[in-house]
Amino acid sequence: MSWNLFKGTMHQRRKPLFWFSFSLVAYSWMMVWFWPQMGGAEYAELAESMPPEMIALFGDAELSLASLGGYFQTEYLGLMWMVIVAAALIGYAAKMIAGEVNGGTMELLLSQPLSRSKFILTRMAGLVLQVLLLSAATFVPIQILGPGYDIELTAKVFWLLFGLGSLLMLAIGSFAFMVSALSRDGGRPTTLTSAVIAGMWIASFLADVSDFADALDPFNLLSYWEPGKVINNGALATNAWWVYAGVSVVCLVIAYIGFMRRDVA
Amino acid sequence: MSAVIETKGMSKFYGKHRGVIDLDLSVGRGETYGFLGPNGAGKTTTIRCLLSMLKMTHGEARVLGEAVTLDGAALRQRIGYIPGEVFMYEKETGRWMLDYISGFRGGKGASETELIERLEFDPSRKIRELSKGNKQKLALIIGLMHDPELLILDEPTSGLDPLNQDVVFDIIEERVKEGATLFLSSHILSEVERVCERVGIIREGRLVADENMHELLARRLRELTVKFADGVDASTLGGMPSVEDVVSIDANTLTATVTGEAVDGLIKHLAAHSLTDVTLQHASLEDVFMEFYRDDAHKDSADSKGGDAS
Repeated sequence: MSWNLFKGTMHQRRKPLFWFSFSLVAYSWMMVWFWPQMGGAEYAELAESMPPEMIALFGDAELSLASLGGYFQTEYLGLMWMVIVAAALIGYAAKMIAGEVNGGTMELLLSQPLSRSKFILTRMAGLVLQVLLLSAATFVPIQILGPGYDIELTAKVFWLLFGLGSLLMLAIGSFAFMVSALSRDGGRPTTLTSAVIAGMWIASFLADVSDFADALDPFNLLSYWEPGKVINNGALATNAWWVYAGVSVVCLVIAYIGFMRRDVA
Repeated sequence: MSAVIETKGMSKFYGKHRGVIDLDLSVGRGETYGFLGPNGAGKTTTIRCLLSMLKMTHGEARVLGEAVTLDGAALRQRIGYIPGEVFMYEKETGRWMLDYISGFRGGKGASETELIERLEFDPSRKIRELSKGNKQKLALIIGLMHDPELLILDEPTSGLDPLNQDVVFDIIEERVKEGATLFLSSHILSEVERVCERVGIIREGRLVADENMHELLARRLRELTVKFADGVDASTLGGMPSVEDVVSIDANTLTATVTGEAVDGLIKHLAAHSLTDVTLQHASLEDVFMEFYRDDAHKDSADSKGGDAS
């Protein structure tokens, strides 16, 4: 890894990273703040009056929306959170490889004594750091501010959310990173990854309202993302870890191999 | 003389499109090599293959004695490269760029301050605020500040005013005197003529000439003007081998183009006449360059006519 490239990368991403992290902290705080008003019997009544399709639109239809887990998944972690973190990570991945090639700055960097392997491994390290920062910006405010608003998450639940959320982000970021490492056009990683995530989200929605679409679940990354169940039950299916870790590793290995063999100018 | 740049059968294709084909180059240590060709001829592709930014389709290349590999970084520690088109991080300052690049090379360049002063560059300004010429100055400082052994320059004075062009070539000449090897790609022929001992001409991806600059110029075109004491006509020089384009300027003056090794025979032929003046002007590199391309164009045209006829 190149420490100089790492510092430069973080310097260049400091503003987007700050604003995405700030948005997540503010959003998490807002969700914690609203819980005492939303968690009462009136909200439960409202939630139960919604048609299952609408509930499925925001998350898991099996989850009680009036529960803490249901509330967080429906109102935050099942949709808006994914939009924010996907935008942050896709932006990073698109800019840091295909964007450099397309913008001509890759030529400048790789005419210096910087190997391709160091370049891509450093940019991967940047991806991991951003995932951890975004995860912290999401879950730490809930954990710290929660007790003031009747939200008590155990350390186990916190770490499960932190770990699983990080791995989901890493899987999304790695996919975008892979597309970026294989293309010249800075727009392609954004378009393709956004389309894949949107497709998965639609597949999740369909699976919640139709038994026919259940067959898509094993191939759908978002079907393993069940933060509501983690919050309510303190546990999650073991295969979620393996799926996210496996997708991340495969995408990063393909990105590495592809980048080491491609034309970069 | 050990080769600093050596390629054997180096080819690069972009899919079906030609980049360079079977390029055999050899540039010795301390040599100044001009690499000439019009836009799209394959100059930048050659450089990018040598710097391992592009993967060669066939062939091999060695730079500074080491085989060029896609992941080679140590080699580039000894190379200063100035790209044909300068792209930098627009939101950053020149100072940030210089420090960033220095970070890859283990510290501040020994010549950084001197180059900033000589090129009158202001590093405190953001790159997006810089003119094309000032961006080019920054690229020059980045490429030269670590006193590399090998300078690979792709149109290094693009966008610079004549005064700064002169400063840049003074700097390059100083580096060469200190022992650096120069590989200069350009289509500004006067620049190449000023600093290069050897020149390669690339056309449609193939090297069509690779010669010593003086020999190349000496063997190629010369513009002859002869003033005779008595009236003459064009037939006086007509029919002589390697004397072409004979034109009668006035009753006493002829001009012609002399090619090849015809000078000796020409002078002996002229000695039989009473002359008042003779000038024999060497061709500029530009004339030589155009000669190569004109010849190819004629050949292509003839081929095309031959094809039509059949």
